[in-house]
Amino acid sequence: MDLRAKTAIVGVGNTAQGTLPGRSANEIAVEAIQEALADAGIEKKDVDGLITCRNLRSREGIDEQIGHLMGLNPKYSATLDYGTGNFSLHLGVMAILTGLASTVVLVYGTNQRSAKADFSVAVGGGADMAAIAGLAHVAGPAAMAFRRHQHLYGTTEEQLGWVSVAQREWAQMNPLAIFKQPMSIDDYMAMDYMVAPLRRPDLTMISDGGVAIILTSAERAVDHPKKPAYILGIAERTALRAYQNLENLMRPWLGDVAKQLWSSSGLSPKDIDALYIQDATSVWVLQMLEWYGFCEVGEGGPFLAEGRTRPGGSLPLNTNGGQLSESYMWGWLNLAEGVRQLRGECGPRQVANAEVVLDCSTHDFLKGAATILSSHQ
Amino acid sequence: MMAYDKPLPDLENEVEAPHWQAAKQGRLSIQRCSQCGYLRWPPETICPECLTRGGDWVDLKGEGEIWSFAVYHRAMNPVFSDEVPYAVAMVRLTEGIEMIGRIAGPPDQVRIGQKVRAVFVPVTDEVTLVQWEPSA
Ligand SMILES: [Zn+2]
Repeated sequence: MDLRAKTAIVGVGNTAQGTLPGRSANEIAVEAIQEALADAGIEKKDVDGLITCRNLRSREGIDEQIGHLMGLNPKYSATLDYGTGNFSLHLGVMAILTGLASTVVLVYGTNQRSAKADFSVAVGGGADMAAIAGLAHVAGPAAMAFRRHQHLYGTTEEQLGWVSVAQREWAQMNPLAIFKQPMSIDDYMAMDYMVAPLRRPDLTMISDGGVAIILTSAERAVDHPKKPAYILGIAERTALRAYQNLENLMRPWLGDVAKQLWSSSGLSPKDIDALYIQDATSVWVLQMLEWYGFCEVGEGGPFLAEGRTRPGGSLPLNTNGGQLSESYMWGWLNLAEGVRQLRGECGPRQVANAEVVLDCSTHDFLKGAATILSSHQ
Repeated sequence: MMAYDKPLPDLENEVEAPHWQAAKQGRLSIQRCSQCGYLRWPPETICPECLTRGGDWVDLKGEGEIWSFAVYHRAMNPVFSDEVPYAVAMVRLTEGIEMIGRIAGPPDQVRIGQKVRAVFVPVTDEVTLVQWEPSA
């Protein structure tokens, strides 16, 4: 099926980010939905699809709960058990292209900071065995993946540091960002290890917040007030065998997502004006720069150290500050930022002539997904 | 033996129990499919290659090399605070599978490619963990 420019994002909304005490995850989700509806110039009665994300380690975020709270009886609803924006977005695209729904709201809301959600647990297949060995938090496997990259390609800690330093520079131009204190590469190198070879800025800080997106068909998109962000291409793949896959921490299967994305869309990395990479750790940025073909595999370190991803660089990357500096929203704010860049709404951090953006997400060591969006059909 | 307050295996879990029984006796044991011979780790009820249920338990040599490792300077799970800095490695076993395990001893001398062997570390009266130490 040719899905090029058949669907478009016509609304994005978010709550404040950081600490939102005294509110449930579902209440936060509802506020985000209200913001997105207003941005799209519609009311809740205009929505006939609802896609939600269950919260990690709680039973909140389920469509039955949020539909009930919102007073919605949509034709179609679904809940994903993990919350990376692209996976929800792709489900929305499918719902619209198949006629199950015509206008879908996608939402992620969480109170995981105030609720003190436990992120110390190990992740991925074989998690029990990892936890027993003390491999706690995603920082452990990410540190292993980066050390292996260093061993194979000579990548340095300072080169990796440019991921966080560049994103902090972008964050300083984003009022929504939680972390805006200046951070030079020397500041980065002077910090203590958390899980060597990774330091604090290589890891996200858990936050509360919500993000919602309104997706509709290209025909309907033009009736909304804001410039549509058309979906030009999507791709996914899984690695559900987890630790049975040798070298799985390097996530080589992301290269297959990229291949599928570029071949089905007819586009290539040089067409991308701004790039968004879900950055639960800085190492994921390094990996995806390479697997998506923005540089050769193994060349990510020098590529970053040349400053290409910084403000003014040739490849603006995570221009919101990403999750490392803006807020840890499972990639949803990266997606929202891509849409806002295409609309030209980003003020001092606006990328000149941003017409095509790519948003890449992963779900731990288990899934990858990517979407190309454009202001043109 | 001192109280051990860190994550422990569920010895009641029949799928994993043979691994822990073997570790207590100083053996590194994992499942091998009785039908197709596929070695599987972590333990599961079904062979992921041919979908045969069950499987035999076989002892491995307990030898491999370090594929990569992480050094915890901050205990991301606070119960490990008394052990920092400690190293956890992905070990590539000579039999071809990968296994996550703690490096026994200080992390300073650990490097990628290092040959390691399994050591068996009792942590409670019932549980012995498999850890890894340099063999060369
Ligand atoms: Zn088999």
